Amino acid sequence: MENLSLHDPPPPGDQPPQLPQMIPQLPPQMFTTAAQLLDLTDKKLLVALRDGRKLIGVLRSWDQFANLVLQDTTERIYVQNLYADINRGVFLVRGENVLLLGEIDLDRDDDIPEPYQQAPVEEVFALQKKEMEERKRKEKVRTRKLQGYGFEGDMGVEGIL
Amino acid sequence: MSFFGFDATLPRDRGHQAYKPGFGATPDAFAGLSGRDDDADALDFEDTYDGLGDRLDETDDAFNDDTFGGEPATQQNVAKDFDFSGQTAKIANTLQEEQMLYTARQPPPKASPPKRAAKPARTGYENYAQPDYIPKLEANAGLWGIPPKKASPQPQAHQRQESQGAPIAAESSRKMMSLEEVEAAMRAQSRKPAAPQPQVPQAPQLFAPVPPAQPSPAEFSHQAGFGVPPQILQRPQAAYDQRPLSAPRPPAQAELPPQGVQHPQILQRQRPVQPEPVAHRQAPQQPAAQPQRPPSQPRQILQNPNRLSGQGQPIAQPGPRHGMQQMGPGHQRGPSYPANVVTYPQQILDMSSEERAAHLEAEAKRAKRNYKIHLLSKDNGLMTPQDKNFITRIQLQQLVTATGGVDDQGPEAALAEDFYYQVYSQIRGAPRQNPNQPASQFAQTYLFQTGGRYGNNRRRPRGGDNHIQRMEQQVQRAVEAAKAKPKNKQLVIEGSLGKISFSNAKTPKPLLNIKRTESGTPRPESAARRPSHMHRDPTTADRKVVLKDIENVYSTLMQMEDHERHMPPPLAEDSEPAVVEAHMLWRQTIQSLNEKLWRELKVMEPIIPNSPTPHPFIAILSHPKGKKAVPRIFRHITDQQRITILTMIVVHLDALDVIRNAVPTHLNGIDQPIPASVREDVELFAQTVLPPFFAYLAEAPLNIATGLLGLVLDRTNLTAVARTKIGLLVLTMFVSRAELLRPVPPAPPSAQDDWVQWTELYTRLFDAVEPVLPFVFPGSVNDAEDVYVWQFLAAMGVGASPEQQQRLVLGVKERVMETVAACRALPEEMRARRLGDVNLFMRAIGLDVELLG
Amino acid sequence: MNRFFTPFFKTLVDHEVTVELKNDISIRGTLKSVDQYLNIKLDDISVVEEIRYPHLSSVKNVFIRGSVVRYVHLPGAAVDTALLEDATRREAAQASAKAKQG
Repeated sequence: MENLSLHDPPPPGDQPPQLPQMIPQLPPQMFTTAAQLLDLTDKKLLVALRDGRKLIGVLRSWDQFANLVLQDTTERIYVQNLYADINRGVFLVRGENVLLLGEIDLDRDDDIPEPYQQAPVEEVFALQKKEMEERKRKEKVRTRKLQGYGFEGDMGVEGIL
Repeated sequence: MSFFGFDATLPRDRGHQAYKPGFGATPDAFAGLSGRDDDADALDFEDTYDGLGDRLDETDDAFNDDTFGGEPATQQNVAKDFDFSGQTAKIANTLQEEQMLYTARQPPPKASPPKRAAKPARTGYENYAQPDYIPKLEANAGLWGIPPKKASPQPQAHQRQESQGAPIAAESSRKMMSLEEVEAAMRAQSRKPAAPQPQVPQAPQLFAPVPPAQPSPAEFSHQAGFGVPPQILQRPQAAYDQRPLSAPRPPAQAELPPQGVQHPQILQRQRPVQPEPVAHRQAPQQPAAQPQRPPSQPRQILQNPNRLSGQGQPIAQPGPRHGMQQMGPGHQRGPSYPANVVTYPQQILDMSSEERAAHLEAEAKRAKRNYKIHLLSKDNGLMTPQDKNFITRIQLQQLVTATGGVDDQGPEAALAEDFYYQVYSQIRGAPRQNPNQPASQFAQTYLFQTGGRYGNNRRRPRGGDNHIQRMEQQVQRAVEAAKAKPKNKQLVIEGSLGKISFSNAKTPKPLLNIKRTESGTPRPESAARRPSHMHRDPTTADRKVVLKDIENVYSTLMQMEDHERHMPPPLAEDSEPAVVEAHMLWRQTIQSLNEKLWRELKVMEPIIPNSPTPHPFIAILSHPKGKKAVPRIFRHITDQQRITILTMIVVHLDALDVIRNAVPTHLNGIDQPIPASVREDVELFAQTVLPPFFAYLAEAPLNIATGLLGLVLDRTNLTAVARTKIGLLVLTMFVSRAELLRPVPPAPPSAQDDWVQWTELYTRLFDAVEPVLPFVFPGSVNDAEDVYVWQFLAAMGVGASPEQQQRLVLGVKERVMETVAACRALPEEMRARRLGDVNLFMRAIGLDVELLG
Repeated sequence: MNRFFTPFFKTLVDHEVTVELKNDISIRGTLKSVDQYLNIKLDDISVVEEIRYPHLSSVKNVFIRGSVVRYVHLPGAAVDTALLEDATRREAAQASAKAKQG
């Protein structure tokens, strides 16, 4: 009905006669940060941060900047073919530090991909620290070289997933 | 048996399930936790509640009407007299007030749909906060021994009475009926027809004002510990207790069968459906029943929710966005286990061992997931729907500020703000609802302008090429027309057959070779090179100027298209002066826009012979976006302007990039392939510039064709033109148009002059083209994209004198023979197509490839 | 800019896209939503070179922060370039009109 009326001749001086028929619109609220985070609320999520950390926790609250509150958070470290979980508790993450949020499929939650094996936190942590230092060192060299060519500033995101 | 196809067995028979921690949470595990549903609520609950509850297939539930009354429950007929305990009555007024309040606090659905959000915090365990709640359940547990079959009648009786408003209801609500009483009541009602949509009252054991308790782990273990069915049964109801959250919870939450409520929640975001709020508002108030009721009565009702976990589930997922719904078994509300949930131990026994194993595995998985969900859910709802709404609104507000409130200003404003999306949805979105509606102007502008946008033409060499097809039709018509004329009979078929049928005839070749070296290759090459050197490498400044010109054209085009959409209603004899004036104004504007466009096209700029830079209009055409503008331009200009543009193009034919750059170059004796970028330009030109050109010419009189052909012959380097696809297409256009116009009885003397002139030009064309005939084909014989050449030859052949026909045959016969030979190795379909191409020409001169064996 | 891109991405909802992040990871999935910051929500994701990113092995849908996106690879067939060109022309015309006003 509405469509028909759209194409009726309009009253003089009013709307043009050939207004395009409008197909149903996707609601604007679909395209807000809030709508994107709604589904993830109270879900178990993987949160990847810009510094490379990976947190697993339950998203309890958020705001329009995607600042997040995570509960029961563990930090999971994968290094070489080992991994470890460290309990971290509650996190408030400032949005800008977030790389991505991923909803974890509870059915696949416990499947650790090959070839990773659980190892003591200390061991994994130490390995990771070493690896990070190594990477930092390489990064420094690279940055210095790039600067030699005239490149400046932040070369993307530090975090390596 | 059971009413709903669910487990009617007693809890103790389902031992393994009850022990599992978390299993008890089965039905409601999905309810309270995810927050997803509530969130979605916050968005558009009203819009999305689709009335699934009404569509439940209850056909096999033979006792429904006995249970729930023969007519749909309404507030009037069910509400207050439903009172198992008498306690409801005490707070009946309050209930109603609350109901009104709740309703009143609902914002008007349009204004702010989100308001109905449910509090995710409700997990279904709220009831347990009632201090004396659990003890009572325990006490009642002893009564479950009553076989389900017999137990079932009781609620029927109650519901029935209550829906009738019979006095018995009140009575029975206060005391437990005997089995005899129940059966008697059943018999009395058995004749009633079944209600089509029985309203299932909600679980009776809820207290009306349920305190919004968070389930604590302690509570949970409590429940699990009991391991008795009431918990299992009760949860689902609790699941939708959540909904009321924002306003004071209306006591009459129970109105719908759980499916009715839960499904919309699941679906909210995916399926906007007509709002059906009535179902909620008309909530009967009976749920305020209390635990001390005889347990057998609620049981039927309580079991109903179980259905959620099984057959009920699939119902929740109809519709196109089904897939999305299913994306995750993880936190999703909808259970992802198979629909045939086993509820009878017997069923398990009946299964094959694999089935059983699979079933048990699925059960285990489900239980595990549910347990996880339970663990996660303990703090659900920390962020309330109000919080979420608030943030959503902040963001929407920002959007509105940024875009200026698209919603309020109608489609034109939306168009201005959202042009790409709006037009895109019109063009590619829903099919038009009314076939009589004209395709929108946008579709005309963007959809049809390039013929085959959707298919890549290169992949469909013929099907998609509109212009080629139309050209072919025209050539074919010309051929047909020619056949009808007596002159073709002069062609001695046997003679020509004799000439071309001797295979590998080398005789004419030297002749041709000589021609090529003399006038063929070198000439077109140098001819092509010279202008290309002149025209190529325009300075950056030139290029910028041209691009700027093109943008000016586009911006005026868009103004014109916008203006066209604002065309006032057509004038009638009795139109009011204001309308007439609006019309005048509109025409004035369109006129001035037309003039502006014409200036910006720069067609009328003087032609400077031997200028190092191309004419500005030709420069515009050398850019892809300039080419693309042509079909749109043609819709907005007059016939006079169109012929002017055509003339302009024809005069500069060999200066067009698509001809200049597409002349095959010769290096070390080998034809160099045309670069891909040039081929793209050529295709684009054929799809954008030629169609309006062709459309114009298809209706033009002979003198136009004559005049344009004359210009080509006089002003351009024909050998270069003839060796390119665009050049040949243009020539074909002229020649075939003239042949179509040729009158069947020779023209009367008055018109003879025109034809004499045409024939003269034709002969000039023939003589000019003949030397390059062997070189007009693209690539080798294996290149199948040569149909345009055969079209050209066919058009030439139709108008040719017998002598000219012989010369034509001589010129291309090598290619004919090669193609026929090459076709033998081709698959059937391709062979037929290629032979068909050749036959275009052969038939035009009265031959056929079949004759070549 | 968001004014322009959000409507554009709206037409790509439910299409498969690949989002390449600034740390080189590429995630393919069904586009579900894009907001004004160009945060992106993808469903049914798969990760290019999955083995390198064990963290994402059990993740089924993601919210990607707009600021870390390097590229979004779009399905060509779902983009109407002629229309897009005109949309940008309109956008530019409006912007310059506004600039003249203010």
